[in-house]
Amino acid sequence: MANILLSDAEKTFILHGVEEDFRCDGRTRRDYRPMELETGIVSHASGSARLRLANTDILVGIKTEIDVPSPYNIDKGKIEFFIDCSANATPEFEGRGGEELAQEISDTLAKSYQSGQAFDLRKLCILPGQQCWKLYVDILILECGGNLFDAVSLAVKAALFNTKIPRVTAALMDGGNVDLSLSDDPYDCNRIEINQIPILVTVCKIGDSCVVDPSAEEEQCSAASVVVGVSQRDNKSFLTNIHMCGVGSFHQETLESSVELGLSAAEKLDEELLIALKLEEERFGKYGKKEIFGFLR
Amino acid sequence: MANQDLLSDQGLRLDGRRAHELRRIRCKLGVFSQPDGSAYLEQGNTKVLAAVYGPHQAPGKKSNHSEVIVNCQYSMAVFSTGERKNRPRGDRKSQEMTIHLQQTLRAAIKTELYPRSQIDVFIEVLQADGGNYCASVNAATLALIDAGICLKEYVCACTASLANGNVPLMDVSHLEEVSGGATLSVASLPSSNKIAFMEMSQRFHLDHLPKVLDHALQGCQQIMSILDKAVREHLALVGSASDWGNIAK
Amino acid sequence: MLTERVFMRKTKRGNILKIVREHYLRDDIICGSAICKHCPVSMQNDDDIVLVANPSAESSLFKFPIYLVPDTNVILDQIDIFEEDAICNMIILSTVQEEVKHRSSAVYKKFRDIVGRSPRHCYVFVNEHHKDTYVERKPGETANDRNDRAIRTATKWYDEHLQQSQLNIPKAKRIRVVLLTNDAKNREIAQNEGILAISVDEYVKSLTEHPLLQDKLKHKTYEVESSKNALFPPHLSPAEIHEGIKSGALLQGSFMASRENYLEGSVNVEGIEKFVLIQGRESLNRAVDGDVVAIRLLPEDQWSAPSEIILQDEENDPGDVLEEETEILAVKAEVEKTPTGVIVGIIRRKWRQYCGILQINQVSGSTRHIFVPAERKIPKVRIETRQAEHLKMQRIVVAIDNWPRHSRYPNGHFVRALGPLGDKDTENEVLLLEHDVPHSKWSEEVLSCLPKLPWIITNEDYERRKDLRDIFICSVDPPGCTDIDDALHCRELPNGRLEVGVHIADVSHFIRPGTALDKEASLRATTVYLVDKRIDMVPELLSSNLCSLLGGVERFAFSCVWEMDHNANILETRYHKSVIKSKSAMTYEQAQLIIDDPTQNHEIAKSLRHLNRLAKILKKKRIENGALILASPEIRFQVDSETHDPIEVEAKKMRETNSMVEEFMLLANVSVAEHIEREFPECAMLRRHPNPPQTNFEPLIKAGENQGFEIKTDCGKNLALSLDAAIKEDNPYFNTMLRILATRCMMQAVYFISGTVQNEEYFHYGLAAPIYTHFTSPIRRYADIIVHRLLAASIGADSTYAELLDKHRNSELCNNLNYRNRMAQYAGRASVALNTHLFFRGKTQEEEGYVLFVRKNALQILVPKFGLEGTIYLNIPKDNSRHKPGAPVFVFNKDEHTQQCGNIIFHSFDPVVVRLSLDSTNVQREKLVFELVKPYIEGFSVEPMELSVDDNDDQKASDKVSESTPKRPIGNADENKPKKKKNKKTKK
Repeated sequence: MANILLSDAEKTFILHGVEEDFRCDGRTRRDYRPMELETGIVSHASGSARLRLANTDILVGIKTEIDVPSPYNIDKGKIEFFIDCSANATPEFEGRGGEELAQEISDTLAKSYQSGQAFDLRKLCILPGQQCWKLYVDILILECGGNLFDAVSLAVKAALFNTKIPRVTAALMDGGNVDLSLSDDPYDCNRIEINQIPILVTVCKIGDSCVVDPSAEEEQCSAASVVVGVSQRDNKSFLTNIHMCGVGSFHQETLESSVELGLSAAEKLDEELLIALKLEEERFGKYGKKEIFGFLR
Repeated sequence: MANQDLLSDQGLRLDGRRAHELRRIRCKLGVFSQPDGSAYLEQGNTKVLAAVYGPHQAPGKKSNHSEVIVNCQYSMAVFSTGERKNRPRGDRKSQEMTIHLQQTLRAAIKTELYPRSQIDVFIEVLQADGGNYCASVNAATLALIDAGICLKEYVCACTASLANGNVPLMDVSHLEEVSGGATLSVASLPSSNKIAFMEMSQRFHLDHLPKVLDHALQGCQQIMSILDKAVREHLALVGSASDWGNIAK
Repeated sequence: MLTERVFMRKTKRGNILKIVREHYLRDDIICGSAICKHCPVSMQNDDDIVLVANPSAESSLFKFPIYLVPDTNVILDQIDIFEEDAICNMIILSTVQEEVKHRSSAVYKKFRDIVGRSPRHCYVFVNEHHKDTYVERKPGETANDRNDRAIRTATKWYDEHLQQSQLNIPKAKRIRVVLLTNDAKNREIAQNEGILAISVDEYVKSLTEHPLLQDKLKHKTYEVESSKNALFPPHLSPAEIHEGIKSGALLQGSFMASRENYLEGSVNVEGIEKFVLIQGRESLNRAVDGDVVAIRLLPEDQWSAPSEIILQDEENDPGDVLEEETEILAVKAEVEKTPTGVIVGIIRRKWRQYCGILQINQVSGSTRHIFVPAERKIPKVRIETRQAEHLKMQRIVVAIDNWPRHSRYPNGHFVRALGPLGDKDTENEVLLLEHDVPHSKWSEEVLSCLPKLPWIITNEDYERRKDLRDIFICSVDPPGCTDIDDALHCRELPNGRLEVGVHIADVSHFIRPGTALDKEASLRATTVYLVDKRIDMVPELLSSNLCSLLGGVERFAFSCVWEMDHNANILETRYHKSVIKSKSAMTYEQAQLIIDDPTQNHEIAKSLRHLNRLAKILKKKRIENGALILASPEIRFQVDSETHDPIEVEAKKMRETNSMVEEFMLLANVSVAEHIEREFPECAMLRRHPNPPQTNFEPLIKAGENQGFEIKTDCGKNLALSLDAAIKEDNPYFNTMLRILATRCMMQAVYFISGTVQNEEYFHYGLAAPIYTHFTSPIRRYADIIVHRLLAASIGADSTYAELLDKHRNSELCNNLNYRNRMAQYAGRASVALNTHLFFRGKTQEEEGYVLFVRKNALQILVPKFGLEGTIYLNIPKDNSRHKPGAPVFVFNKDEHTQQCGNIIFHSFDPVVVRLSLDSTNVQREKLVFELVKPYIEGFSVEPMELSVDDNDDQKASDKVSESTPKRPIGNADENKPKKKKNKKTKK
């Protein structure tokens, strides 16, 4: 992660702030920083979203491809996460510098999507054993302002919401060949059901307290944090995975309370995201087009 | 492929432009806070982000005591192309592009002003629709300006090609690149009318070169005025907190 | 100035991609009307204003002047209507133009040409990029509906836009915009939206001043096709065909109708070596020659063999019935069977316009008539016309519209008349049209590219070129030749070697790349020689004057000069542009006389003798290498200088000098080919002659076997040897006939670009040359011009240009050259046939002939004197006049291919005497009749004539006989220019 040079005094200041539940930027421990979200900004991807969480800038593009289901899961489609840490974020990411971080995030993301309850891959199947969709979820980290996990997972969920998969009909021909026919109408496409799609929440242990949405500076002061994947179903929250990062360790109680904090934060976050996406959808209107601000705003 | 008519009888191209028209260019300076300079530029559907870090101290082994080191990285988002790319950088094309950018920018930066230093220019192509090199150069120019690095002048790049074998086209799109003949990419310093860099995608007949080159240079000229306008607007906006806004006008 | 829309398109390229393209909407597209006051003035260019301010109001339906907006289907269906000048002041929307282009490139080409004609006042309005007329596709809307909406939107916009400029004109006199569409639903929607809309039929009928226009309306039948009286099985739907081809149940191929039997045809299916046979009317199922069809293969036990019967559709519209076909289909089991199939659907119609004549309906007053195409492969067509009386003695052009199931013949409509029947010019016009030979007058633009007269050679020219004016150069050509493109010289050098020069007219000096002249020449591709007419590739000033290497004048040449030893081995080759002054332009005969006359010892004579000697050595070497000497009957006509009717026919004579010139031309071509291939390995224009597949040789091998000769066809050399060995003492023409057969086994030689084909495939089979090109006739072949340019570029005599080195462009050019060459060749042959008819008009002649093939119901006879092929029908049961009781019965022996009648047996190659006469009973369609004279068969043969034809009156006219002008008057537009090469590379 991007290294920011902090002096001991600065670190202590942050530490004390967290203890007092009054962080440097005025938030409480359970507060998120402001977010900006826009979907559909990469016009030739099937789905896309850009999320800006304070200084953290994430761009997600989703591309679809026709693939053959794996022999073990003949009725399932595929999804693949790829994260690229752009050198725009920090010169340290130049070349292959960001790969380790990227791998960690994409692994966590992939694990939390693994459960059939969280993300139903069967919907991506076209013809069992023959043809399916493969979703490439490509994430570009353009700027690091802390709390990458949360930002990435939110952006991915928004991009999946925005994704339109063209409607194809498949027929098995003689000789085992599959004939795909594509709908002539560009508006004729499938959407992805996103209600159960998990989001990640990082709970960062600073001193003895835990905070959500740590800024880059706060991350410097933290020895350990836990990332929880949370999926919503029937108005209940389910944990899809827990991932610990950092060099430090958690007390059992601290961990439990951290997970608790993560769950409740995730619920709120998810709710807000859905509201935002609904608003976004309205902007698209009848023809599915809207003015795109992108980076020009 | 080659027989596709790139220019209709009515003088319009496939996307509705005339032969001598640029695509729509929109840009913004200072899109990020962490880099020392950044810019976003879109030329039609080609969309590019550029970030500049530096000048900062150059690592010991690379350090040059007479001039600055310009370090570039050209990278494309894997979803930027029609068919998904496998990796964002490190492939031959990107490496070649990196070198080309480096060459071009060195020609524009007053390198002698920053001895023993290094300037990093990172380009991220978000959407590729032809003229990637040009959009990268133009975005890099803006980012360098945003970073406050001394340039000799604007460095602008534009492509040109030939339609139907004899009509030069300015600023070709991806579709025109693949269905037409050779494409000429030129980076120039428009005020002094110098060519900083030139490259062509295929063999090109010498007879056609002057008029195609001429078109590309005209394109650079037009791009410069667009960039200049954007820089002025940006400065007015940034400076409006103080009294710059009025001065800039 | 620019606005932008992004629209999505997904294409399938193994994968489904989302494609996004920019779409700029403009505000600077003008409406193109002269009355408009609102379009941006700065953009207005006088050339762009094509719609006149006072369009005529000819339609009786509208009391005010109108502009027309045709929709896509109207153009696709009724393109012939648009050919008429009465239809003008049209607004062509880009939506429509794109759709037409997408649906039919042939119609698009025609239409584009029409739109370009200035008196038509057609304006192409790019509505798709106009900010007010662009429409976005709505969800759930089909592409067609969207386009219809776009057309309506644009029409409405136009109407309103023009109203604004006519505010000061009374409403009833304002120009309105009318949508022309045959889609009733679309018309209704349009009218509801306040748009004037009308169908084409209504509109054309309302043009009271042009009543004949109605004839050209294409008839779309909307009748429900009842299967009750259907003659043909229904075609499968495109979806069914698609499915069938995918699953392998059906096959796709292009249909070729048989020239000889109208109830038979074959389909060339990719992946099946043999042609798939289609027999019988129902199996043919309304396919017309050239159509791409879907067929179903029959099970092997139902396979059949091509019938040996020659059958023509002679009936006069018998109504929609099918006659018994058992006779054709009855094929005995022992014949070798070929895959047989039935046509189940048409994938793509390749209908074009056909030339032919009208066969008047016997019922007077009827407007329904039968059209008989000139091309035998095309079925008769029913058309409707009110001008039958006028058209019955004319050659006319007709287009096919449709072919319903219950109709014996397809329905069509009249397009235009070409001229009176039997008129020489009309017939030539037919010939040129049928063979797609561009023959319009030279346009002003082309003529402006010609050099100004008097043309003088400047000092600069002398400096740049090698001066060869002092060398004794001469040309040898057929008599009457005016486009001399080659000249020769040979002299001894001080070092004992011989210097041989071939000097070719420097046409590329005059035809500069990219000019209108160059474009026209590349379109024409070749000069076409008809018997009495030459359709030049370049204007006459060049072909017969400035480029032609006439005797005694200074001309520019491209010289290829060799140094040789006395055994004709090339020691050195040089190419350069030069100025020459031919000392003499001789005919073959004159040159031969000089060579043979030992008293002549001047420079020219010496030169000729050297050349002649070297040529013999070269020829010997070539034949040793396996070059073929093939034959085809070649004849020339003597033409009456006034009426241009042929008076006498003679077979061509070959002299030594013919072969002499030919050898050096071959040598030059090969040398140049090697040179340009070395210099431009990727883009040299070469010519190759592919090895014929062994199956092609089957008829030849069989024919040889029947006569007791083994013809080896495994390689060119063996073929040449076995042909040489096949000589029959009692039948001197036998060998020639075998060679004629061999010629028909050959593939077509083609131009190609070196980079597009593997090196091994450069081979020229007929010449046994590993590499070959055309360099020596730039006046009459475009390929040579390209080769000249390449050669000039390689020696630095001229600069290259982009297109010259563009592999793909040149490949396309090659396709055109090959096509035009083939067509020119066919046209030449057709011209010979035409003149043969003219020659026999009112004449009956007995000639020696040979049996070429023995068929089940006919003998095919070749008459060498005229190079004519004809058929004598045997056992024709339908023809009552000849089929008397007791008439001789012919028995066909399938194994030996013989016909026996009594004790007379006909074999292939048997000599016969036939009587030739022209059957003019049907004035509209004359044909040459062959009747057997010898051997005499009671009740079948005709009695020999008493009088010899030579006493014919025509002989008196011989004093005004002139040689026909064309240098190569017979059907050999290929390189087998008789003087140069005998090798025919043409497969019939």
